Amino acid sequence: MRFILRRLGFYCAAFAVALTLNFFIPRLMPGDPAATLFVSLRGRMSQQSLDAMRAAYGFDGSLWDQFVAYVIRLLHGDLGVSTVNFPQPASEMLLYAAGWTLFLVGVATLLSFVVGILFGMLAAWRRGSFFDTLFTPVNVMLNAFTPAVVALLLLYGFALQLEWFPLGRAYNIDLEPGWNMAFMGSVLYHSVLPLASLVIIAIGGWHLSMRNTMINLLNEDYITLARAKGLSGRRILFRYAARNAMLPQITSLALTFGFVLGGALITEVVFNYPGLGKFTLAAIEKRDYAFIQGQLLLLTFTVLLANLIADLLNLLLDPRLRDRSELA
Amino acid sequence: MKATTKIKTRSLIACLALTASVQAAEADQNRIHGGELVLAPTQTNAHVRNFNPYNFSVGAFYAQDFIYEPLWIYNIAHPGQDFPRLAVSFETADDLRSITYHLRPGVKWSDGQPFSADDVVFTFELAKSHPAFPVGLDIQSDSNPNGLIVSMEKIDDLTFVARLSKPSALAHEHIGVMYPLPRHIWKDVQDPTTFANPEPVATGPFTEVRSFSMSQFKVCRNEKYWDAGKPYIDCLKFPQYSGNDQTMLAARAGKIDWLGDGMSDPEKTYVNGDKHNKYWFPAGANANLHLNTRKAPFNSLPFRQAFSMALNRRFILDVATFGLTTETQFPIGTGELYKDWYDAQALQPYRYLMEYNPKRAKALLDDNGFVDRDGDGWRDNPDGSSIEFKLAVPSGWSDWVNTMMTVSENLRDIGVNAHLSTQDESTWFAGTTQGDFDVYIMWTKPSATPHGTYSLMFATDGLAEGRRLEQNMHGMVIPEINQALDKFAQTQDRTEQKKWLTQVHKQVAEKLPVITLFANPDWYQYNDSRFQGWVTQDNPYVRPMLHLGVPERGVHVLNLSLRKEAAAQVARQ
Repeated sequence: MRFILRRLGFYCAAFAVALTLNFFIPRLMPGDPAATLFVSLRGRMSQQSLDAMRAAYGFDGSLWDQFVAYVIRLLHGDLGVSTVNFPQPASEMLLYAAGWTLFLVGVATLLSFVVGILFGMLAAWRRGSFFDTLFTPVNVMLNAFTPAVVALLLLYGFALQLEWFPLGRAYNIDLEPGWNMAFMGSVLYHSVLPLASLVIIAIGGWHLSMRNTMINLLNEDYITLARAKGLSGRRILFRYAARNAMLPQITSLALTFGFVLGGALITEVVFNYPGLGKFTLAAIEKRDYAFIQGQLLLLTFTVLLANLIADLLNLLLDPRLRDRSELA
Repeated sequence: MKATTKIKTRSLIACLALTASVQAAEADQNRIHGGELVLAPTQTNAHVRNFNPYNFSVGAFYAQDFIYEPLWIYNIAHPGQDFPRLAVSFETADDLRSITYHLRPGVKWSDGQPFSADDVVFTFELAKSHPAFPVGLDIQSDSNPNGLIVSMEKIDDLTFVARLSKPSALAHEHIGVMYPLPRHIWKDVQDPTTFANPEPVATGPFTEVRSFSMSQFKVCRNEKYWDAGKPYIDCLKFPQYSGNDQTMLAARAGKIDWLGDGMSDPEKTYVNGDKHNKYWFPAGANANLHLNTRKAPFNSLPFRQAFSMALNRRFILDVATFGLTTETQFPIGTGELYKDWYDAQALQPYRYLMEYNPKRAKALLDDNGFVDRDGDGWRDNPDGSSIEFKLAVPSGWSDWVNTMMTVSENLRDIGVNAHLSTQDESTWFAGTTQGDFDVYIMWTKPSATPHGTYSLMFATDGLAEGRRLEQNMHGMVIPEINQALDKFAQTQDRTEQKKWLTQVHKQVAEKLPVITLFANPDWYQYNDSRFQGWVTQDNPYVRPMLHLGVPERGVHVLNLSLRKEAAAQVARQ
């Protein structure tokens, strides 16, 4: 119990620090969120009006005043007003983009996890076979590719040249978004290339790490025992070896999920996918502080949450850790 | 329709506009109604439902000109051939202290309520009581004692008068461009600055917002539009595009009817994609260099003159800016856009400053003590301090980056140590209001007359130590120019105005507060497979651009209609 409380205390402190940094880091960048807008308005408005407008955007007062206002707003669950889409609350666009990112990167993570684990499992089971010698190096090589190359190649080949898939977006914009087959089919169709670009790269990591763990496990005594007992290969592979080798992979999957809401910047930009990475990039370019803060906050929160879940999973799965925490 | 240089009175103009609309009506029989025009006036990551015409983050891009109409649309391409919209005519009083506007009879808001002078006066009062609401009227108030417009008063339902704080023949340029708001809707709005106006009630040609999503929305025809039979188009369709790359992919494939994106090789990147893809990049407003004249060496006139002569403008025009810019004749900060306005004879003596002459530039620097004093190979100030400065330009604005690169090479050729400094866009923008810079490249603001452009360039109220506005970054105060501009504003006679403008031109050429470069292209691309009536180089009836700040787009869109073949296709579907 004390272990959990100690972790929780640590997470709260980390969150408070992140919250403060989230406010100051965007403001360390040179530039002014209203500068672009005001340049276009100047000549149309008097200096007095511009000052009034700056106040309406929330950029009056000292940095400290703004920080206090930011903390008070946050306590009320208000992330502030976006300057890019003034006066829309930053949270609306954040949730919209988070939804698409959760779908795209979430599915991609799960998919690459499942496929990668299967690859790793089989490669380890038949170490040195044709399957292992072909797919292990290929997947590791793909893992080293940058997302930009893969995404652009897919876009050029399958969307621009072959025209099998659309050039971008999350769905056919002439359809009304809703829970119907036509719309959801369109979402799936549009997600093929972006998903592929993410999965192709990520498989290698899972493959390699699963293969390594498996190979170690396959040399353990209990596997030898299982073989001696005359259990079927299939049963040994799935029930004895893979199951145990999965444990560290699941922990690392939990941690990976923490970063899902970081978005997939390159893929989203290339395929005009309305995800958090693309929105955050635009927010940084336009110095939309409220959005950057909101995104960093969301990311901090999910990373900490994922860590907490990983901690709890470890506690649950690893009896040694549990015993120690009960002793303490 | 060709530009004429005759001087006309405003009522005559209104007459001309009437004949123009009669001509259009005759052509009407050939016009087909229907179709959805696909436009990309701006880029965004997701659409936000905001149709406030005075929200310059979102709403104005779509709501101005298409949904809300101004009182008057100035025809900047053809001065004097304006398009009266919600007003039909106006008269400036003899003492130039008031303007009376006559509104168009029979105009209704899209909810059926009549439009009247009450709405205009209400919009004025709204702007006055909410300084943060950017209606753009220079209203006199306690905090803005030098404001131009004192009040607006209703005379009768179709007449109002605007009273001015000082005599001005040009105040109509500020008032005419306002977009009146419906009083019966907006009187209940708490704060117009933050009002999203999701269901616009307006008088423009398109008012009905349909199938709104974050990726696309439509604005469809206003059945109560005052110009009977117009618009020909059913709906405007705005797909969301977040960047140049996606916009170009779609445009190249002929999927966008009307856009305005910067492109360096339009034949290759755009026209090649679809035989109906067309473009025309007319000369727009000028781009100039602003030198920080409040410090050395830029405070020296001979240095600025040498700077101007050191530039190889031919190379800048043809190579650095891909041949898309237009030459400017005289060192006066403006060019092609106001070609009817300058007195070539009076400016001829300054022509040499626009010619590439590094030899003469070097000699001028030598004569004025700008020589290498410390033996490092670069010229120094006459007082011995060394000269080294930065040419600031936003990274990614490739034509301007190339230009600044050429400028730096040209300057280094005459022994002046200048570096290119590319900056992140936001940083560069923020720098425009500070006095802390060496050299900036900067646009000029187009206006109904050159007066607007020059009064921003020589505005004195934004100047202070460490404070500039982006149009007067040079920081020079030239009282003769401000006096001449005041005189210009106090006469309605074009000849008289020209006389004062020549004074301004001569002062600019004499003192070189800015180094004149070239006229920027105005970006305009269209696909004519579905619609006809486009502005073309042969029929340039208005400035053709789609972007915010070009009210003529409201005239342009009314002239577009489905082509016969396209209509047949629509019918089949």
